[in-house]
Amino acid sequence: MQNLLADYLPLVVFIGVAAFIAIALMVAPFLVAYKQPDPEKLSAYECGFNAFDDARMKFDVRFYLVSILFIIFDLEVAFLFPWAISFHEVGLFGFWSMMLFLGVLTIGFVYEWNKGALEWD
Amino acid sequence: MTAHVPALMPALPELILASGALLLVLIGALRGESSHGFVHASSVLLLGLALLAIALGDGGTVVTFNGAFINDGFARFMKIAALAAALVSLVVSQGYLQRHKVEVFEYPLLVVLSTTGMLVMISAHDLIALYLGLELSSLSLYVIAAFRRDDLRSTEAGLKYFVLGALSSGMLLYGASLIYGFTGAVEFGAIVKALHGHAPTGVIFGLAFLMAGFAFKISAVPFHMWTPDVYEGAPTPVTTFFASAPKLAAMAMTVRVVMTAFPDVTHEWRQIVVFIALGSMVLGAFAAIGQTNIKRLLAYSSIGHVGYALVGLSAGTDAGVQGVVVYMSIYTVTTLGAFACVLGMRRDGHYVEDINDLAGLGRNNPALAFALAMIMFSLAGIPPLAGFFAKWYVFVAAVEAKFYALAIIGVLSSVVGAFYYLRIVKIVYFDDAKTAFDPLDSSLKAVILVSSLVIFLFWLYPAPLVNAASLAASSLH
Amino acid sequence: MVQAIVFLPLLGFLIAGSLGRVIGPRPSEIVTTGFLITGAILSWFVFFQVGYGSGPFKVAIAPWISSGALQVEWALRVDTLTAVMLVVVNSVSALVHLYSIGYMHEDPSRPRFFGYLSLFTFAMLMLVTADNLVQMFFGWEGVGLASYLLIGFWYEKPSANAAAMKAFIVNRVGDFGFALGIFLVFVLTNSVAFDPIFASIGGAAGKHFHFIGRDWDALTLACLLLFMGAMGKSAQFFLHTWLPDAMEGPTPVSALIHAATMVTAGVFMVARLSPVFELSPDALGVVMFIGATTAFFAGTIGLVQNDIKRVIAYSTCSQLGYMFAALGAGAYSAGVFHLFTHAFFKALLFLGAGSVIHAMHHEQDIRRMGGLFKSIPFTAVMMLIGTLALTGFPLTAGFYSKDAIIESVYVAHHGPVSYAFILLIVAAGLTSFYSWRLFFLTFMGHKRWGADAAHAHHGDDHHHAKAHHDHGHDHDHHHEPHESPSVMLIPLTFLALGALIAGLLFHDSFLDHGYEHFFKASLTLSPDNHILHDMHGVPLWVQWAPMVMMVTGFVVAWIFYIAKPELPAALAKSQPLLYQFLLNKWYFDELYDFLFVRPAKALGYFLWKKGDGATIDGFGPDGVSARVVNFSGVIVRLQTGYLYHYAFAMLIGLAAVITWYMFGGAQS
Repeated sequence: MQNLLADYLPLVVFIGVAAFIAIALMVAPFLVAYKQPDPEKLSAYECGFNAFDDARMKFDVRFYLVSILFIIFDLEVAFLFPWAISFHEVGLFGFWSMMLFLGVLTIGFVYEWNKGALEWD
Repeated sequence: MTAHVPALMPALPELILASGALLLVLIGALRGESSHGFVHASSVLLLGLALLAIALGDGGTVVTFNGAFINDGFARFMKIAALAAALVSLVVSQGYLQRHKVEVFEYPLLVVLSTTGMLVMISAHDLIALYLGLELSSLSLYVIAAFRRDDLRSTEAGLKYFVLGALSSGMLLYGASLIYGFTGAVEFGAIVKALHGHAPTGVIFGLAFLMAGFAFKISAVPFHMWTPDVYEGAPTPVTTFFASAPKLAAMAMTVRVVMTAFPDVTHEWRQIVVFIALGSMVLGAFAAIGQTNIKRLLAYSSIGHVGYALVGLSAGTDAGVQGVVVYMSIYTVTTLGAFACVLGMRRDGHYVEDINDLAGLGRNNPALAFALAMIMFSLAGIPPLAGFFAKWYVFVAAVEAKFYALAIIGVLSSVVGAFYYLRIVKIVYFDDAKTAFDPLDSSLKAVILVSSLVIFLFWLYPAPLVNAASLAASSLH
Repeated sequence: MVQAIVFLPLLGFLIAGSLGRVIGPRPSEIVTTGFLITGAILSWFVFFQVGYGSGPFKVAIAPWISSGALQVEWALRVDTLTAVMLVVVNSVSALVHLYSIGYMHEDPSRPRFFGYLSLFTFAMLMLVTADNLVQMFFGWEGVGLASYLLIGFWYEKPSANAAAMKAFIVNRVGDFGFALGIFLVFVLTNSVAFDPIFASIGGAAGKHFHFIGRDWDALTLACLLLFMGAMGKSAQFFLHTWLPDAMEGPTPVSALIHAATMVTAGVFMVARLSPVFELSPDALGVVMFIGATTAFFAGTIGLVQNDIKRVIAYSTCSQLGYMFAALGAGAYSAGVFHLFTHAFFKALLFLGAGSVIHAMHHEQDIRRMGGLFKSIPFTAVMMLIGTLALTGFPLTAGFYSKDAIIESVYVAHHGPVSYAFILLIVAAGLTSFYSWRLFFLTFMGHKRWGADAAHAHHGDDHHHAKAHHDHGHDHDHHHEPHESPSVMLIPLTFLALGALIAGLLFHDSFLDHGYEHFFKASLTLSPDNHILHDMHGVPLWVQWAPMVMMVTGFVVAWIFYIAKPELPAALAKSQPLLYQFLLNKWYFDELYDFLFVRPAKALGYFLWKKGDGATIDGFGPDGVSARVVNFSGVIVRLQTGYLYHYAFAMLIGLAAVITWYMFGGAQS
């Protein structure tokens, strides 16, 4: 156990250094910065016009749905890249494996389409 | 690199379930909600087909998918048990779904998918396959826990289960990566070779994290906190499913990992098993006492029972594994019967879950009352019912491995546990009668009948189960 | 075929027991009786096949228990000994079923009765077909249970309940011994199945077993423990007290269970274990001693009893003593032969007595009978046949078997031979006397019932509330005794036939030249046991002694109850002590009450009030349960419902587990 912990000593040193720098940079402005607040400086700023309401409003849950669906197909592409690059090496088995994967994905796509998950309303 | 097609036949049941489920997704998506009945029936059929495929398949031990997947006696036994449990819990869910007007075709599909994941878990022979199976089953379970979306408790249960499940999956993955880092292998056989009887500290850390993930799945102390809330909040058929098949599969996975990947470092993992077994038995016994909701009570009961099963595992011997297998099989049969009784608690069209609602059942429905009493006696481990033999086998294994303290604490906590089981029997038979329950669905009747017959008559002919369990246990090495 | 024989009664029990209320009494009767008759006919086939044809066989049913060295199977072992028992059990049971249709016709819970009868038959068949001691014990306990249920069949009657409990508890004493015996045999031979036991028990001879501070000969101890079980079941001296009380049950039950079958289970068991007992002459001596003592002792009590069923009950007790005496002498086949013949004539006597009781509207006191020959001649003739067979009248069944026993005891080599021989001879005279006394008092002489006698009605068989209503006879105005319906008389005829010719037909097979061929290997005699040969060479006076005693008993009974009926009362008056001693059954019940029942009750009361109530409850359950509830409250409070608490608990748990690993000795 002693050995194990000794192995991690550089890591601890590194974490310590990183923490020191980060904290130093956070704390320094409070100590050295020039402060002279007025109402305009403290109000919320929104691209050239006054804020309509509180910035912490609820997002429509559909945003999440869309983003989750996006991630799925995004990942699909992430799988396709390495496959495409090593295509001539994986052979027929590799080809059909990917086809199977895409087939499963397609079934999922058909499902979400038919369930209306892609419609906004 | 030339890849060749791995042997697929050993994974036939998984393939049946997976391809069947995909087909049913398509059918459901195209035909809409009206296809529920068809999908439900087809799902039951699929599970039955997979069961048949195992039962009629070849014996022996086959490793395929480059060592990631194993089909041996242990896998076959546990898969049959898990499939049967899934099938039964799917069958008994019909009436509940109808009455709550939540007949959606996704429900049986998710059960099938989750069962597929469990089969993979049971057969997993490396850490990656194991994680894949675990996640496939868990993700489906998260969804069906929250499956009554308009019910607050159901969604709460689903969310809690999901968040904590994600945490435990993270622990498990972290453990797996530690083990990989220190042994350079994910395949169980390779891990054994890499360790050659000596576990470096990193592997012990990894093992601890891995076991934490397993303990969450089997709801063992201290990773059990989700269990009472989820059991209570989830719809009763879902709870029925939770209490049977996933628990069985997770236990099988735990047994396989410690017995095949870490057989030479028994001393290391045994401590954690003893730790969580002790915690589970004691907590399961004590915490159930104050409960008034029968599902919650059964949740604590299941925590306790996992503890007893782990007593067998802690022995680390073939006899211990045999004990675990027998224990889980009998527990599954019993718990399915118990939840079938809970599903039968329906008064004026509404499901009731309070223990006091059982009052007077002894007069209103003597047959159901007797079956429930038998189930409770069996859970309490009173001879000559099946539950007694289940405990007998694990405790004998523990005593043979010289874990006297564990066995004694186990027996003591089962005495404490008997209290709340007997309290139910007392309420059923001695409290003043309320109005009678609505008539039971015939599927519930069948399940209760079979369950109580097995419990009641096990002593007459225990040989098939015990011998099969012994074969399963000996196939692990 | 043998599966059908064994399991048809079980099926009958299940049908009558579970569906009896639905299908009604008549179908229940028909189903159970039909099954039993089928079983009885098949049994005779098996009997001839096994005894005279192809020989013994075994049928494996299923494995039962497999735990370490202990391997137990459900299996049916059918050899000649079993076949004899199958014939006895099924024939008598079938006839009793048939008889009960008539006898019980006014009872409202007939399905229950027939269910119990079939259950009993099944358990008895399991007992006799057992291939190992555990299965035998299963049957043994099964018949005990069925006997309990049937003795207490009229559970409204307190005396029936008490009798049922007495039978059960006294049998427990014996069963305890039996169970210990099984354990010891397992220790000695590492098996409970008969064949391995018989094969390896020889090696256990001479071993010693340390128990309560001294060494015992292990084999003798095992035999004595097993015999203790037999004593309980077969109502031998010291454990006999339950049998007379068991007469509280319906008369067909007495005929089936307490005369022909269950009480002979002990005899069967000792005969079955003959290879074991043969190795222990000391144990055999004890068997002979107990048997002879019982034969004499029960005979003396039988002399003065007035209840028709109790007389026959003591007679049964006494005849069982004969059987054990034969077993003790090493003449197993003689004991089994007497078992076989006794089943016929004792069942005949009981069923005949039942017919008398039926005729007399449930009067059981023979002092209030008399002169019934004219009213119920058929029953009287049947009883006469039974009496002749019991007393050993030449050429009847009892003649062959009883004489064989007496001769075999005379030539036995070990044990209390002369003691046993003298007691058995005397008991033969007693048997003759009480049997003829019963017959004369019941059927001959003057009427002592109806208008001729002041009527006092108590101590009868049917104190059954419903029976009084349904019966349709007014007890205050006795009608003429009526002959029983033919459904009751037909079984009597069959049994009478058996009582007359069973001895003539089979004595060759059981005792003489056919012995080897008939029993084959089912009974084992040690090489120096020549008793079956020797018993043919006894002196002439030994052969004639039983006959002389029989005639003497008959003549004395004739003088006492026909010629000079005032003599018995005078004798009783002149010997009050002896008379009271016999009438009160040697004061055994009182003795046991004083020795066991009262101290046990006192001890129980003390432990209940002081031990359990004050000490254990106070410090034990009550205190502990309060702590348990407190603790449970603490644990439940941990379950807050907050997600982050749960996640926190998981992390703490993980940290605890890892800490345990790192510092708990897991380091390598």
